[in-house]
Amino acid sequence: MDVLFALSVIKESMAKDIISVETSNGDIHIFTGRERIVAFAKFMRDDIRLQFDMLSDLFAVDYPKKADRIEVIYNFYSTKNNFTIFIKVKSKMDEPDYPSLTPLYESANWFEREVYDMFGLKFKGHPDLKRILNPDDWEGHPLLKDYPLKQRPPVEKINFDTPGYTVLNKTDQKP
Amino acid sequence: MFEYKDFLIEVDKFSLNIGPSHPATHGVLRVLVKMDGEVILDAEPIIGYLHTSMEKCAEFKTYHQAETITDRMDYVSAVSNNLGYILAVEKLCGVKAPKRAEYVRVILAEFTRISSHLVWLATHAVDLGALTEFLYCFRERELILDIIEAVTGARMTPSFFRVGGLAMDIHKDFIDKTRSFIKIFPEKIVEYEALLTKNKIWLERTKNLGIISIEDAVSYAFTGPNLRGSGLQYDVRKANPYSSYEDFEFDIPIGDTGDVYDRYFVRIEEMRQSLKIIEQAVENIPEGEYLSYDEYPKYVIPPKRRALTTMEGMISLFKYGMEGIKPPKGEAYHSVENPRGELGFYLVSDGSAFPYRMRVRPPSFCNISALCKMTKGYLLADLVAIMGSVDILLGEVDR
Repeated sequence: MDVLFALSVIKESMAKDIISVETSNGDIHIFTGRERIVAFAKFMRDDIRLQFDMLSDLFAVDYPKKADRIEVIYNFYSTKNNFTIFIKVKSKMDEPDYPSLTPLYESANWFEREVYDMFGLKFKGHPDLKRILNPDDWEGHPLLKDYPLKQRPPVEKINFDTPGYTVLNKTDQKP
Repeated sequence: MFEYKDFLIEVDKFSLNIGPSHPATHGVLRVLVKMDGEVILDAEPIIGYLHTSMEKCAEFKTYHQAETITDRMDYVSAVSNNLGYILAVEKLCGVKAPKRAEYVRVILAEFTRISSHLVWLATHAVDLGALTEFLYCFRERELILDIIEAVTGARMTPSFFRVGGLAMDIHKDFIDKTRSFIKIFPEKIVEYEALLTKNKIWLERTKNLGIISIEDAVSYAFTGPNLRGSGLQYDVRKANPYSSYEDFEFDIPIGDTGDVYDRYFVRIEEMRQSLKIIEQAVENIPEGEYLSYDEYPKYVIPPKRRALTTMEGMISLFKYGMEGIKPPKGEAYHSVENPRGELGFYLVSDGSAFPYRMRVRPPSFCNISALCKMTKGYLLADLVAIMGSVDILLGEVDR
């Protein structure tokens, strides 16, 4: 079966939640609202014709010049039907109630932690939202476009005795 | 004075820290295990000790420079990573490599699959106490690395692929070396299996251990041998064939219970299938160009001979080096079957010579996230077997 069939099923059933549909190099991208993503994912997972049972990837892209700065991209895959569809959600920097997909897909747990770590997006309903790749007390979110490439705390400020290498005496840094 | 009871420690429920520097974690994985006596209640993998922010680094490199980053991610199977990245860039540019280049890519990718599985088998067996296996596996891995070195010039980090083909044509020794490897390797697999497959100790330590069902494995986004060990026949090479994989006949081995032994069995069988693919590819390797420069002069590097003998070849080589390629605006996702699972690259281009965003879908990252699910209720000694059977590589988990 073709992925266009999946697109037609989604268009027919979720028409009011779709903001726009784009194709880029053969991939299908569906834009939807932030608050509708859980319902969207639930429909895609449970519908007997679609069965998107795997959340293959979840990540974000930063567009600092746009009003809705962060674009979160969900890569859904159906192992039964071999469909891949990308769902995109635009959001502002500090969305207080960004929904989590962890209750639906176990893989969302670590992916959302990574998005939080790299972009600072907080997911509501996530069981254990903390940094995953950077140390717990790291400052800033490295994959944002305004985070410089070569920034690190000065070595003499690093306290190697505590886990996470806390930066000591943040106040007495030279101006 | 101290009394005897002061020296007793609470052993009912306690936490145990394994790693980040521990021989059984194969890298810098740290696992925080909550235990009741010797039974694991909860195992939380803590990652990030090898984090080098490769996705950020790639945004500051041109499309071809960024290829060298992908080598360092999964350093045991670097060619597969190069292949995934280059195919994503080719999808972005709309470039197709010539058939000869695609066949060479397949041969090299399957060689790295065998070599990666050999490293896995060697270290996994050492974890469970079979040292001879280690020596056997590294013996044959050396042959594969020699072949890869003969073609690409590097053993571990080749960066041999270019957009639209290869860096250079294959060496004339390559086919002979590959044929002699195909001749000797099947016996070697029998040798590996003779030590383990029906070994009582091995069976006791791997059967019915670390079981994960298909539903859980799919929910955790397992891919590769771990998912196939659970019994789902999903392989990117069959599901969405890329780089001429549709030309070759091969089977996808699957397990039935999803335990440590099944994952071992699937990988052993995969080595045989990879050898089958290499054999077909080497015998049918087409003649012709190794770069599709004539079809897509805008994106593809000219072959070296053309660059040194013709004027326009020299000009485009110079432009290629100074400016880099500039794919059209857009986004592209391409995934390949890495030895560890589905490795995907999502590239966002803004029309400049640098990728706006490179996202790597890391297979090991997903696979290790289910460690708690797989180890709950088993003994601490089994944690080592389960962790080894998942075959993670921390360079790729942390990126």
